[in-house]
Amino acid sequence: MSLLAISEQAINGLIISSFYALTALGLAVIFGVLRIVNFAHGELYMLGGYAYYLAISALGLPPLFALLVAAVALFAVGAAIEWLLIRPIHTGRIDRPEEYAIMITFALSIFLLNLANSVFGPWPQRPEPLMRGRVEIGELIISGDRLAAAGAAIILMTGVILALRYTWAGKAVRAVSQDRTAAEIYGISVQRAGLIAFGVGAALAGLAGALIGPVFNVTPPMGVVPVIKAYIIVVLGGLGSVPGAIIGAVILGQVESFATILIPDPSRALAYKDAYGLLVLVAVLLLRPQGLFGRAERRA
Amino acid sequence: MNRFVSMRIAGFAALALGFAVLPFAGLSDYWIYTVTIGFYYALLAASWSLLVGYVGRISFAQAAMSGLGGYASALGVIHLGLPVGLGLLAGVAIAGLVGFALGWLTLRLHGAYLGLTTIAFGEILRITVTAEHGITEGSLGLRVPALISGGSRFDYYYLFLVVTAACLVIMGLLLRSRVGLFFQSIREDEDGSASLGVNVTLWKCVAFAVSSAFAGLAGGLYAHFVQLITPSMMSLQEMGIVLAMAVIGGFHNILYAALGGMLLQVLLEMLREVEQWRLVVFGLVTILMLRFAPNGIFGTLIDAVASRRKRHD
Repeated sequence: MSLLAISEQAINGLIISSFYALTALGLAVIFGVLRIVNFAHGELYMLGGYAYYLAISALGLPPLFALLVAAVALFAVGAAIEWLLIRPIHTGRIDRPEEYAIMITFALSIFLLNLANSVFGPWPQRPEPLMRGRVEIGELIISGDRLAAAGAAIILMTGVILALRYTWAGKAVRAVSQDRTAAEIYGISVQRAGLIAFGVGAALAGLAGALIGPVFNVTPPMGVVPVIKAYIIVVLGGLGSVPGAIIGAVILGQVESFATILIPDPSRALAYKDAYGLLVLVAVLLLRPQGLFGRAERRA
Repeated sequence: MNRFVSMRIAGFAALALGFAVLPFAGLSDYWIYTVTIGFYYALLAASWSLLVGYVGRISFAQAAMSGLGGYASALGVIHLGLPVGLGLLAGVAIAGLVGFALGWLTLRLHGAYLGLTTIAFGEILRITVTAEHGITEGSLGLRVPALISGGSRFDYYYLFLVVTAACLVIMGLLLRSRVGLFFQSIREDEDGSASLGVNVTLWKCVAFAVSSAFAGLAGGLYAHFVQLITPSMMSLQEMGIVLAMAVIGGFHNILYAALGGMLLQVLLEMLREVEQWRLVVFGLVTILMLRFAPNGIFGTLIDAVASRRKRHD
């Protein structure tokens, strides 16, 4: 394999990784604070794609503002979900909270997927990208829409990480994910931190969907496959760990990018592409359930 | 035998009798077909509730297990020349063994971790079936020999009715035995039941195996009845429908879950004109049920009747 082909695959892998990371980061923030895996994350991603598409086609906004609309809309959706369905888990009003959290978010994903199918129809929509044309670096050619979307994803992630580190709300979110009780004793509203975390997590998923929409089309089931990647990534990096989510995304992007070209029979290699990550997921959960960067948890 | 148990047995017998006379109530061929498929979903939803409702172990691989049973049986009949009955048994055995292995692999996992692993496991099964199109015909769908050659709709209807009723009785007896108590003790407090001498490791694996074996049987029957199966019967969307059925019926009781499966299948057919909206409504009802009536429609109704009767006594 030539150096050019290798670097092409590596760059493709990195671009894919940046979308994976954005989706996974949302899952990580939600898990960190609320201790639940959001099984409806893929549908929030899809709704972000539609919000972006509608902001451009119905409101006539330029793509950059449409991204903002998608983020705000999904924050609101996420906050509403937390308030209506997730909050009762932590106020002791549910008999079997762990079971409830899994099933309610899974049911929510069925609901949202079919709702989008009914409201928007099963046809693919292609919103306008952030940037058109292509970029040439030496002999490497990268399409502009992908590069711009990946760049935006990296900027957004940096922003979220900085906000988590330096803003008051970000510190509250981190404090609650480290120790819920202690954070509450110190006067942090765990309920508000939970609301913010779910809202931010949903907004991140929505932004990922909005950025990827122009590249791979917006359709109701568009979130089904990416969210499984996000599960793989957060488990690989350690559930609830922010650096883990990003490093996990880089690893998965490279594994998938290279695994496809290393296998001779192309149709089969493509069909099995999604299975490698799943094998990684099963292997990590069985051998090191806390992931690369997670904290080991003992369930009493 | 106390009054409550005998009432439940009477209720179950009345239900079975009701379904037995249903084809004589002037049902068209189409509806007999629909209700037959309903038995498939009833068995699948009941097998899922056996694991989730009684042992408290969540699995999103149930639809995949049903597909595994279906494909194993179909491929056994097509490629190894097994008679259909033996093929079905092979499907049940393979689904049961794979279920046991999945239970053993995930022994240490709980809650969301278990959910994620079972999703991954189910998806790997589905991807493998899709990718190996040389053997399984992939997403084109596999033509499957008929269960009863030249069988009428009536034959299939009664076969499905008898098998479903028999499976529910077997599950019910299992859950009423010591094993059922072990299952429920694991659900309530795993460490506590281990300290009292319950072999938690073994019974968790057995629960997965039994639940998967019933799912495999359901899938095998379905495959030889509809005679064309595709990997989409193993998808997460299909799993979502099974979850909705069990939750709406009441997933803490195998019979309520089974009734939920039948109810939703019939409603899905009745509401054909509204297309996707029926699934939107089912999704919403599932969410509301989980939040406000976790015992499901039948559980809540029967509890209400029972408490009223108690007040009258």
